Amino acid sequence: MSTSLTYEEKDLVASLRNKDDQAFGYLYDHYSGALYGVIKQIVGDVELSSDVLQEAFVNIWRRIDSYDESKGRLFTWMLNVARNAAIDKTRSRAFQQSMRQQPLMDGETAGLPSVKPGFEDFGLKKVLSRLKEEQRLLIDLSYYQGYTHEQIAKALDIPLGTVKTRIRSALTQLRALLT
Amino acid sequence: MNVKEYISSGIIESYVLGLATDSERQEFESLCAQYPEIAEARNTFELQLEEQLLKDAAPPPTHLKQVITEKLAAQLSSDTSTYSLEQPEVPVRKMNPWKWVAAASLLLMAGAAYWGYTNQNKYKDLQAQRQQLESELAQSTAQLEQLNREAQILHNPDMKTAAMQSTTDTKVYGMVYWDSTSSDVYLLVNNMPQTASDKQYQLWALLDNQPIDLGLIELKQQKLLIKMKNVRNAQAFAITVEPKGGSPVPTSTPIVLSKL
Repeated sequence: MSTSLTYEEKDLVASLRNKDDQAFGYLYDHYSGALYGVIKQIVGDVELSSDVLQEAFVNIWRRIDSYDESKGRLFTWMLNVARNAAIDKTRSRAFQQSMRQQPLMDGETAGLPSVKPGFEDFGLKKVLSRLKEEQRLLIDLSYYQGYTHEQIAKALDIPLGTVKTRIRSALTQLRALLT
Repeated sequence: MNVKEYISSGIIESYVLGLATDSERQEFESLCAQYPEIAEARNTFELQLEEQLLKDAAPPPTHLKQVITEKLAAQLSSDTSTYSLEQPEVPVRKMNPWKWVAAASLLLMAGAAYWGYTNQNKYKDLQAQRQQLESELAQSTAQLEQLNREAQILHNPDMKTAAMQSTTDTKVYGMVYWDSTSSDVYLLVNNMPQTASDKQYQLWALLDNQPIDLGLIELKQQKLLIKMKNVRNAQAFAITVEPKGGSPVPTSTPIVLSKL
């Protein structure tokens, strides 16, 4: 089912590795919207999201040689580059100050993490909204806010094993919703 | 292992979305290579995710493409040789290798300059030390030559000696070396007290109770042996204290006197 796509992707990757401007233009035209959507859901702010999208594409361009086809599709790799750039941005001091966001690890029960407001009815989060609140929170914390399982377990006072199991089960439900 | 169970465990989604731990990721990758079903399941989920996210795409600001394209063109021209050195997916700022080279060169230059500077100082010190040693050696050599000459004088078989002694202090004495063939007279003095500034020691030879002036004694001389005036014949020698500049005849009793 994906034979022709895979072949096209091979060509695209080869051209990108040759630093082909046209290939990069194609890549941007095709995928910038999808990546920008995810970045916006992580960062929230439109201007900062543009900065992150810029950083993401610069990284994609510069690190295309480190992309390994055997480990997954080009889009998956790009998505992870974009997500990392976005989470890095939310971790930066400037962002923390501008958002007046409390770090997850403050340990105060009053500042217990929650699903970030906004963008609920949009994109992947729209799919996620069909999950149970508890599963939504775990996916939001791990995927959109980039916290490790250990940090989540500590912050929510749930055993690490339970966090892992619940995230896994939320993810399998997510896939079921995508099918 | 149960491949189906593994596939439905949530590991595929966890891996694709970047939520798997390092060990989970490594395990998943090696299992993907081993079991085509797992790789196929991964590919299916990737396509589903991609499809969903493309459907949900949010158009970025229109000017952004131009901004990014220009940024990439600038980067491409500035560091074509370095992009491939970047580590995968690690958001760490890399320092341009040429900066390392430049920094290393500066350090090296500073090191070399310091090395040169200290070496120059060491060289100067050594040169000064060498000059001092050379002058000391020249002095020692001169003194040794002097002593050798004096020793040769003393070894001369024709040399006669006359010991002059003090009547009051045994430590004070003089020795006259007198070459009977050449008539040369040398004097060796020991523990002679300093004279008053207007006085000087004078050496005399005595022949038939007549004093013969053999000259003034310069005690400041470094020489062991002091060359005095020649005398052809003498029966005894004596040293007296005389007014500065000497006296034609002795005016005081001798400080030291050799036996007649």
